[in-house]
Amino acid sequence: MSLNKSALALAGVLLATTALGTGAAFAQAKVAIVTPYMAQPGTQFYVEAFQGVADENDWDVNVIDTAGDVAAVISRIEDLVVQNVDAIVINVDPTQVTAGLQAAKDTGIPVFGMDAGADPLLVTNVTSNGYAMAAETATYVADRIKGEGNVVMFVFDAFPPVQVRGVIADAVFGNYPDIKVLDRVTPDVSDGGIADSRAKMEAILAANPEPGSIKAVWAAWDQPALGALQAIEDAGRSGEGIVITGIDANPQAREAIAAGGNFEASVAQDFSGIGAATADAVARVLAGEEILQSVTYVPTKLITAANANE
Amino acid sequence: MQHFIRRYGTLIGFVAILVFFSVMLPGTFPTARNWLNITQQTSMLMVVAAGMTVVMVMGDFDLSVGSAASLAGIVAAMMMSAGQPVWAAVSVALIAGLLGGAFNGAMVSLVGILPFIATLATMTMFSGLAFVVSGGKTISGRAIPEEFGNFARSGIPLGEWGGVAVSLPNLSIIAIAVIVAVWVLLEQTTFGRRLYAIGGNMEAAHLSGIAVKRLRLIAFSLTGLAAAGAGLMYASRVASANPVQGSGLMLNAIAAVFLGTTMSRHGEPRILATVVGVIVLGVLDNGLTQMSVDSYIRQVLVGALILIAVGAGSIGQKRP
Repeated sequence: MSLNKSALALAGVLLATTALGTGAAFAQAKVAIVTPYMAQPGTQFYVEAFQGVADENDWDVNVIDTAGDVAAVISRIEDLVVQNVDAIVINVDPTQVTAGLQAAKDTGIPVFGMDAGADPLLVTNVTSNGYAMAAETATYVADRIKGEGNVVMFVFDAFPPVQVRGVIADAVFGNYPDIKVLDRVTPDVSDGGIADSRAKMEAILAANPEPGSIKAVWAAWDQPALGALQAIEDAGRSGEGIVITGIDANPQAREAIAAGGNFEASVAQDFSGIGAATADAVARVLAGEEILQSVTYVPTKLITAANANE
Repeated sequence: MQHFIRRYGTLIGFVAILVFFSVMLPGTFPTARNWLNITQQTSMLMVVAAGMTVVMVMGDFDLSVGSAASLAGIVAAMMMSAGQPVWAAVSVALIAGLLGGAFNGAMVSLVGILPFIATLATMTMFSGLAFVVSGGKTISGRAIPEEFGNFARSGIPLGEWGGVAVSLPNLSIIAIAVIVAVWVLLEQTTFGRRLYAIGGNMEAAHLSGIAVKRLRLIAFSLTGLAAAGAGLMYASRVASANPVQGSGLMLNAIAAVFLGTTMSRHGEPRILATVVGVIVLGVLDNGLTQMSVDSYIRQVLVGALILIAVGAGSIGQKRP
């Protein structure tokens, strides 16, 4: 009795597996995306856009979510290498999965980073350009204050992706003889960054009580910009026309920008664009092309009151 | 006949899975390279499950093994990033696991809290500690010495296979060593026989003069030690540590031991049966990935197979 039941059930499971697994025709290119972070909203945008391009190219795409398990990413890459897929795309810090990347390299399977981080074992990593994002907002500030006045900067040099943003803003402001960087603040980010940025900004406002003595606040990401906005509004100085900019365009920042107050601009990464550009890179390599750039940048978008609600 | 099925049903199912994948993936599944991959991929789970077997022999559980593995990885990574030598970091992490396990044992055997509740509590404690020690961050990159990450990437060369160099991975060697150690401990020593006696009837074991409290304390300590070892293997494999990376190991380890119990005479855990249980889980992950089966469907299938195996065993036992 139990033999028949369990054998039948097992046969059912295996049959179902067969039906699910053999959809692919032989001529199709096999491409796999491996990520531990499928549950994060940005990742879903990458993957959807990637699959759009993949459908056009008629690839057999296998999306593997290891649900936060980074070691499993290595294991699945090893399986894909044994299976001899045509290309692998990862969305995880490449230094954590070197074992898998090495296995792919040894068999000549190209691996692409989708906002993963640059690594010599990747053909290319497709991501946003932190330098360019900072240039967008820094020039926005310089233009808005007509090249003169005091600017407060919020930076975070301990985190490389944010540090590069500060470097660019320094260069832009340094290029205007009449712009003076009043303070270069590194906020305490342990509580998320808004509260301490607000406290730091309150102190700077108290030290510079004259209207017009602060023309702008340039923040390397959105949280300090939001903290500075709160400080300026609570000090009753929102009428002075202090220009605030952030980077990343998170939902809270978009809301503040759309409201039309001092927080005027931020920069949004194009997650769908990153997914599509990754698929394009895969297509180029599958077509036999060699990609020379170890990083492929996807343009970002300046967000102002005009497009904050899009 | 029914007895035969109950005893060997899982094994037959296991062979059926192997045959199925070998037929579906003739060029890649039944190859030495793939099987060496599988032994490496399952090595961490193997070590945790081996440790879990030790307490499950007594009818106990340890839900804290995943958190203990994460904590061990974090402790070692923090020490290494502070410039301590690898051997010192690894030793301290293993001792932390041993002490954590002993704490579990003390709660269960000396204080008398049910293992499920005691280790549920320590699971959150260890996890919280891992966050406290690391500040919630992933420790990776230059903070981790290269030799630590390289360990999991190397092994004993076995020669060429189809033009690709294959080797027996270091992680697999550790897993095999742990299996042998647990096998000797459980099957060849008085200690092991006494653990089985406790699992059979704790009261009777106590009355017959077995130091139940002390043995449970030791058993839980060993489980903690194994969990820490697996956490270090994980950290080496990903050359990094974050405070939650071992959390997936706990449920899989319990599942593997349960799969194994369907193969023993009285449904008691046996280390070699646990090994088969771990390999079943690893083979399913490996084979279904190669067949491009959706990763979420894979989870459903793994759960279904556990139910089938354990269910077939229960039906055969004809419990009222």
